[in-house]
Amino acid sequence: METLDARGLDCPAPVLKTRALVEARHPRQIAVTVDNEPARQNVSRFLSSQGYQTDIQQDGPVFTIVGTLREGVQAAVPQSASPPVSVAASGSRKIMVMVAADRIGRGDDTLGAKLMGNFISTLKEMGTELWRLVFVNSGVRLTTTDAPTLAALKDLEASGVMILVCGTCLDFFNLLDRKEVGETTNMLDIVTAMQLSDMVINL
Amino acid sequence: MSPGDLDTALCGLDFPTDANVLVGLSQADDAGVYKISDDLALIQTVDFFTPVVDDPYLFGQIAAANALSDVYAMGGVPKTTMNLVAFPAKKMDLSILRTVIQGGIDKVREAGAVLIGGHSVEDDEFKYGLSVTGFVHPKKIRTKQGLKEGDRLILTKPLGTGIINTAIKGHLASDDLIRTVADVMATLNRKAAEIMAPYPVHACTDITGFGLIGHLAEMIQGTGLGIRLYAENVPLLDGAKALAAMGMVPGGAYRNRDFRASMVDMDASVDLSIQDILYDPQTSGGLCIAVSPEDARRLQDDLIAGGVDPAAMIGEVAGHPSEKIQVV
Repeated sequence: METLDARGLDCPAPVLKTRALVEARHPRQIAVTVDNEPARQNVSRFLSSQGYQTDIQQDGPVFTIVGTLREGVQAAVPQSASPPVSVAASGSRKIMVMVAADRIGRGDDTLGAKLMGNFISTLKEMGTELWRLVFVNSGVRLTTTDAPTLAALKDLEASGVMILVCGTCLDFFNLLDRKEVGETTNMLDIVTAMQLSDMVINL
Repeated sequence: MSPGDLDTALCGLDFPTDANVLVGLSQADDAGVYKISDDLALIQTVDFFTPVVDDPYLFGQIAAANALSDVYAMGGVPKTTMNLVAFPAKKMDLSILRTVIQGGIDKVREAGAVLIGGHSVEDDEFKYGLSVTGFVHPKKIRTKQGLKEGDRLILTKPLGTGIINTAIKGHLASDDLIRTVADVMATLNRKAAEIMAPYPVHACTDITGFGLIGHLAEMIQGTGLGIRLYAENVPLLDGAKALAAMGMVPGGAYRNRDFRASMVDMDASVDLSIQDILYDPQTSGGLCIAVSPEDARRLQDDLIAGGVDPAAMIGEVAGHPSEKIQVV
């Protein structure tokens, strides 16, 4: 069991420390000690959101939150029962398209790249329902200098589609300074976007 | 400070007053109001806090919008303002202070008011805000008190700024989210106040540190009336719900809940994250306006047509249970 002493810390520090430990070690069981009520509740909320069952032990002003990973649960932010009310004009769906490669399908790579080019330039047909376009793994190549898809992506961005590009992936392919469109992002943004969207299309 | 601590500190103190005090400490409203003549009264308010965003210009704008808001909530027009500055001059570059004040000045100008002075002290922690004086007709003061059974409640900004500000401190908010929440906080309540001015508004307040429920509780205290709040209708900032579920709930939200829980009947079906947001302390929140059901629809239409988004019908005033907020 991993243990963490977060006494003397105010929010959001206890959650951030818990989160760092969960992400680094993925413990099956974790015990976090805190000494204030907001920290107790926030750490409990965080562990629940990551698939842990929580049990709280109290010793005077000190609480120990013991989290045990539920069977078959992968760490993730839980799906909410109802979609959140958005400040943005609603009335239509919010579609998120996640592109995890620089070509479509397997078989012939030249054909796959051509299909991806067609796909990106046809995406605008989704209209205002296209909400977020996320590029991960080799998909990030589509957002870089000289990519044939760049012009179509810039048009989509100009029309209000938010384009998120995985920073870890750009770094892996050594393309950080060649990205020309979209915002560099992290996995938390991607997971949050998935939760907020009405439909996720994986490619 | 938490609402309970403030009550404890002030309880029993005898404040000087006279017959021209129309709204004073005994009513604990958004601002004080002092009558000058039969057709003119002064509204006075002051507010300052530590930075909520990293961008100094935006922080200045937010602090000013927040301070000006109390005048709008009282139905008035802001006229003069003064800067309040606590600045760690030995640790921080003076250009930061200059940019913050520039942000404040621009918001004051947008409000049609002037800046005529200020006061600064050296402090370990940077704080900025304004004192604001406004004008109002003594018969057109909008206070928190005055709800009538059947009234509808309209809220003019989405909730969740406290939770998102906590996530910003924890570096868990995206740039996109930071911009959105900063825009919401920097938006003046001027337009909403101007649009509600001709309506027979029964009560009005701005939603700030005590959270939506805390401010609704102040509206029903001593009235014998209750409020039915429709959780699904409450407008939320994108991302606030997910961040609340992740444990980014500020300590102030828990203090607000502890202080008001006895006045709240929370339906078990209300998502825990939504409950957190209803108690979440807001920075520069929207106006909560109570009007008759007949006026509510027209006011809502006018607000939306005037660009006030959201203008959400979040609840209604009920005869019973007395002095309880039922969240369904």
